[in-house]
Amino acid sequence: MPKTSNSYLRAVADGLCDWGVEAFVYVPSSHAAPVIRDLEARGVRAVLANREEEAVGIAGGMRLAGVRAAIVMQDNGFGNALTALGTFTVAYHVGLPVVANSRGGVGEYNSMIQAISGAVPRLLEALGIPVHELSRRDPVESWRSTTSAAAELATIQHRPVVTLFDALDPAIAGAR
Amino acid sequence: MNRLEALERIESVTREWALVVTCGATAREMATVSRSERHLPLLDSMGLTCAVGLGVALGTTSHVGVVDGDGSLLMGFSILPTLATTRPANLTVVVLDNQQHASADGMASQAAQLDLAVACAGFGFAVDEVADGPALGRALERAVEARELRLVLARIEPGNAEGVPLLLEDPAVLASRFAAALEAPS
Ligand SMILES: Cc1ncc(C[n+]2csc(CCOP(=O)(O)OP(=O)(O)O)c2C)c(N)n1
Repeated sequence: MPKTSNSYLRAVADGLCDWGVEAFVYVPSSHAAPVIRDLEARGVRAVLANREEEAVGIAGGMRLAGVRAAIVMQDNGFGNALTALGTFTVAYHVGLPVVANSRGGVGEYNSMIQAISGAVPRLLEALGIPVHELSRRDPVESWRSTTSAAAELATIQHRPVVTLFDALDPAIAGAR
Repeated sequence: MNRLEALERIESVTREWALVVTCGATAREMATVSRSERHLPLLDSMGLTCAVGLGVALGTTSHVGVVDGDGSLLMGFSILPTLATTRPANLTVVVLDNQQHASADGMASQAAQLDLAVACAGFGFAVDEVADGPALGRALERAVEARELRLVLARIEPGNAEGVPLLLEDPAVLASRFAAALEAPS
């Protein structure tokens, strides 16, 4: 059975739609799946990538061609994506929004994933990539407005901008 | 055919195309052939050439070419199934196969021990194998006429051209010029 969406995950998709997303490149993750399926159901063009750096190349190429394209992924894939984010999107000033579900916090069920996910905000900051984190402390409306505003920041600053959303926290996972 | 001769041939038959060019000596040699704003040299993003070319092709009606190296293609090999499942008809991938990492002190690539053309054909692509300039030119012309994603595997000599200067342009300037050239109807 596909994972059901909830108001927070719909707000992430809403935020991308408010920005005017025309296409997205994704690497599957069960906690981003509701967002991915939601965007597809709304008719946004979806491209499946096998690796996160591939997604950076494809979505970044679309941005250069003028398409409102974003990436939807899971945060443990940023290790794969770092070189591409740095040498391509940062160096070439590609305004690419990246939206990723975060792992390793409360509600986590895997023993190893925190080892990479916990470091992701600092890894991205070390590359000069702004990170906006959405958690149980943020009202559902700001999940939408922050996702959209972060994508807009990427656009106007011509730089990648990452939004991390914690869908695993029981306060979010259990929401309707 | 050496790399410079291959690039000269590519430039001469792709004047209407947008070209995404792989890193290292290939980008530098292409810049000595032409400094066209239709070229996007990826100065250090090894393994990313096909992915960027795919994204550009999905976003434009212009014909898009990727000029990749065997080492770079092998590094980003997971793009091949993605290309095979998206298949933009306005994209042509040229792999300059010298069976080595010429830009990395000529160290061998695995292409020396396996046949990239067979591997690519395994994903269902139409693959043209060429080893001289005229055949390369014909394969590129055929690629546009075919209106389907095609791969051109060009066997080239090892090594780099002598005396080619570094390409030290601001990547952000290269990208914005390239984006503007895509916007302009050709
Ligand atoms: C991620 C990464 N690792 C290593 C390098 C170093 N490097 C630059 S060019 C190159 C070789 C590229 O080989 P190939 O694509 O076959 O092109 P050639 O130089 O042989 O024409 C290497 C290893 C790099 N630029 N990026």
